Amino acid sequence: MEAIRNAFDFSDLPRSELIIAALALLFLLLFPVLPHSSFAMATMIQFLMFSLYGMGWNLIGGYGGQVDLGKAQYVGIGAYTTAVLMIRLDMPFWFSLPVGLALAVLWSFIIGYPLFRLKGHYFAIATIATSLVLKDLFEVWNFVGGARGLEIPLKGHLPNWLYLQFKQDYYYFYVLLAMFLVGLIYVNGFRHSRLGFQLRAIKDNENVARSLGIDAHWCKIKAYATATAFVAAVGSFHACYNFNIEPEDVMSLDLSVLIALMAMLGGAGSMWGPIIGAAILVPMKSYLGDWLGGKAGMAGLDLLLYGAIIMFIAAAQPRGLYGIVEALRVRRQR
Amino acid sequence: MALLEVKQVSKHFGGLVANQEVSFTLEQHEVLGLIGPNGAGKTTLFNCIAGFYPVTSGQVLFDGRDITALRDYHIARLGLARTFQIFQASGDLKVLENVMVGAFLRTGSRRKARSAAEGCLDFLGIRAAGGNMMADLPVAAQKRVALATALASDPKLMLLDEVGAGLNKSELEGLVALLNRIHRERGVALLLTEHVLEMVMALSHRVIVLESGQKIAEGEPAEVVKNPEVIRAYLGDHYVRRREIGHA
Amino acid sequence: MEDLAVQILKSLVSGLLMGLVFALVALGLTVVFGVMDIVNFAHGEFLMIGMYATLLTSPWLGVDPVLTLPLCGLVGAVLGLLCYYGLIRFLLRGPMIAQLFGTFGLMLFLRNLALLTMGSEPRIIHAGWLVGKSFLVGPGVVLESTKLAAAVLSVASFLAVWWLINRTRVGKALTATSLDAEGARYMGISTERMNALAWAVGGASVAVAGGLLVNFWPVEPGVGLLFTMIAFATVALGGFGSVRGAFVAGVLIGLIVNVPPVWDAMLRAIDAVGLKNLEIHSFKYTMVYAIYFLIMVIRPQGLFGWKQ
Repeated sequence: MEAIRNAFDFSDLPRSELIIAALALLFLLLFPVLPHSSFAMATMIQFLMFSLYGMGWNLIGGYGGQVDLGKAQYVGIGAYTTAVLMIRLDMPFWFSLPVGLALAVLWSFIIGYPLFRLKGHYFAIATIATSLVLKDLFEVWNFVGGARGLEIPLKGHLPNWLYLQFKQDYYYFYVLLAMFLVGLIYVNGFRHSRLGFQLRAIKDNENVARSLGIDAHWCKIKAYATATAFVAAVGSFHACYNFNIEPEDVMSLDLSVLIALMAMLGGAGSMWGPIIGAAILVPMKSYLGDWLGGKAGMAGLDLLLYGAIIMFIAAAQPRGLYGIVEALRVRRQR
Repeated sequence: MALLEVKQVSKHFGGLVANQEVSFTLEQHEVLGLIGPNGAGKTTLFNCIAGFYPVTSGQVLFDGRDITALRDYHIARLGLARTFQIFQASGDLKVLENVMVGAFLRTGSRRKARSAAEGCLDFLGIRAAGGNMMADLPVAAQKRVALATALASDPKLMLLDEVGAGLNKSELEGLVALLNRIHRERGVALLLTEHVLEMVMALSHRVIVLESGQKIAEGEPAEVVKNPEVIRAYLGDHYVRRREIGHA
Repeated sequence: MEDLAVQILKSLVSGLLMGLVFALVALGLTVVFGVMDIVNFAHGEFLMIGMYATLLTSPWLGVDPVLTLPLCGLVGAVLGLLCYYGLIRFLLRGPMIAQLFGTFGLMLFLRNLALLTMGSEPRIIHAGWLVGKSFLVGPGVVLESTKLAAAVLSVASFLAVWWLINRTRVGKALTATSLDAEGARYMGISTERMNALAWAVGGASVAVAGGLLVNFWPVEPGVGLLFTMIAFATVALGGFGSVRGAFVAGVLIGLIVNVPPVWDAMLRAIDAVGLKNLEIHSFKYTMVYAIYFLIMVIRPQGLFGWKQ
């Protein structure tokens, strides 16, 4: 019971943040009704997906301080489970979603146990390695279509809620928005939970944390598995939304890094950070990419700017944009 | 039954002997001082007791249970809390949240953890600092937060490693009073290392002296300081000779 | 079907040569890591820039690609210095996550700068002293002169760096900085300058590796990632910060990557049902990642490592 109360307890946040959050939520709820281009809708869906990825990453990367650069493997597991179950066994999305989640979480325990014997850089690079191994395996595994990936056929009439197949994007948008809200409330509860506190203590100083009876290794694995659940759920959604998945799309290193990057840019270890990061980077990436990609000889300029921004943020304010907001607030209070 | 029993504990780092067959006991509700010159192996012994290092040989019993092979976090759960010499205050936990981490050892409920943590902060007289970041506090207050955090985990025994280091005289007096209260009112046994001798002498019921990793003396504070072995360890041979000549 | 013995011999020879090149690629990474505990994600991009440097300057200057190597080294060193003074210096003040992302940003930046200026099509050197020449050293075993030259120069570069670190005053200061930066500062060593030197040496060695590599490996803007990962694996296997370890580990990884054709041949020889379509060959870089993971978990200090 208390866990549920905790999840809905936003009272420790500053009023200004809550007002902004409420306005943003209102905007999100009304967005499909407002006049918009289909490109804007696609960008919005991307934004929600990356917010969820980032929220998941933030549990282990932000609160736990363990830089995980291998989240894409779990996007892949979620997406492929849904696709395979739909294609081969005709299973609806609502069944394949929990199965994919369970598989991803199981895999995260198997991988996480040895992974978390490592720290710092070693951990970060090892997460890349595990993700790349899985991707390479999927690329040659015929059962899941190899490098070409899988295509999900249409199942009967649209809109099809069972298989999450819709003609209009706003259906997807609302499904994802619901997932987003569930995720947000979960993160809020996590923040207040024992595990949340213990993780932050581990990030502060692992030795001190252990001296307070915290099994740091196991705590990290639990948070890692929780983060995985977020990412795998969005992976499942991705499969239905795209109808088509391939390893390069859902398991690439770029995706892993992008997930971590958005959270870090917005502010790792704060609840709004990943959402802020996604709200800035996703539109920037898609509009910049659209605008520049169309022009001959301009390919790469968007990512070049991206790289420059990341370097600047990393050097100037490692706590991200939310860190800047917080610093300003502290200064104003004094 | 003794609360803590250290039997013949040795710790070697490669060829370096940090502790050599150290034995002592600590009774329920006792305050025991562990003193010795720099490099005597006090912190290493702490780390061995708290399960932070594996011992090379020997045995540690806590509350009647063999804890020699247990992991550090497991030992902490049994009620043995420790503070660190160097307390890093870099993170993003506020003071109250920091103390709540300690309280979460005994409860899964945020409400209970919070009230326990507030109680500890109150007890140590730093309730007002609850909303601050650790890094913004002066050293003396940071030490109190570290104590509050350990206290919130509801220990039977606290190992305090150099809690007095870096404090001025009045701050030290405040700390001594505080530790006395922790011991009396909360019934927590204390094992403290310190090279600020006045503080150990003022607090401890008994004192153990380590030198070069070995126990060289044990007894009541007033006796121990007269022990020639101890004086030699702290001040060198010539000082003992001078004293002997003076007496003669 | 080729004789298995010849196949094995071929694999070993090409594995050894490739391994020496991998070792040279990893050398710069291990030097930088040894001195300041920072992992450079843009390492492969330095290599890519070295490759482009040779590719572009050789026809422009009208000299053979081999002669541009000193220039490559210079480009790499300058690049290393620029990165150090422009970025890394600031990252060192922040937490580890900032260092990871900072160098990752650098990687994106350099890669896409190359994409923007060079285009995406793979390019390779088509003419030169080394290109197209090879020696027959045994029945069916061919030594390509490009790879041979790269291997020989790799050994030479290792000797040069070894000499720099172990036989010069600067090298001693470098070692002191890596063992204990604060202590070194007290001894009057400018650790800032030592860090910069490490980046210069690291940049130069990897850019030279690029200049050699482009003789037989096509360059495109995305070429860096694979080599970054190989270099990470090499450095992990050899022990972070160990020059000797990087050498041995590079050769080992070269062999590991080049042995799968042997297994393919064996599989084909036994003609196992169901395994027919499975080409172990296509897993060769997967193995590098898997090895990295296993080494890190089983023996985090690597073969010759002293840093934890």
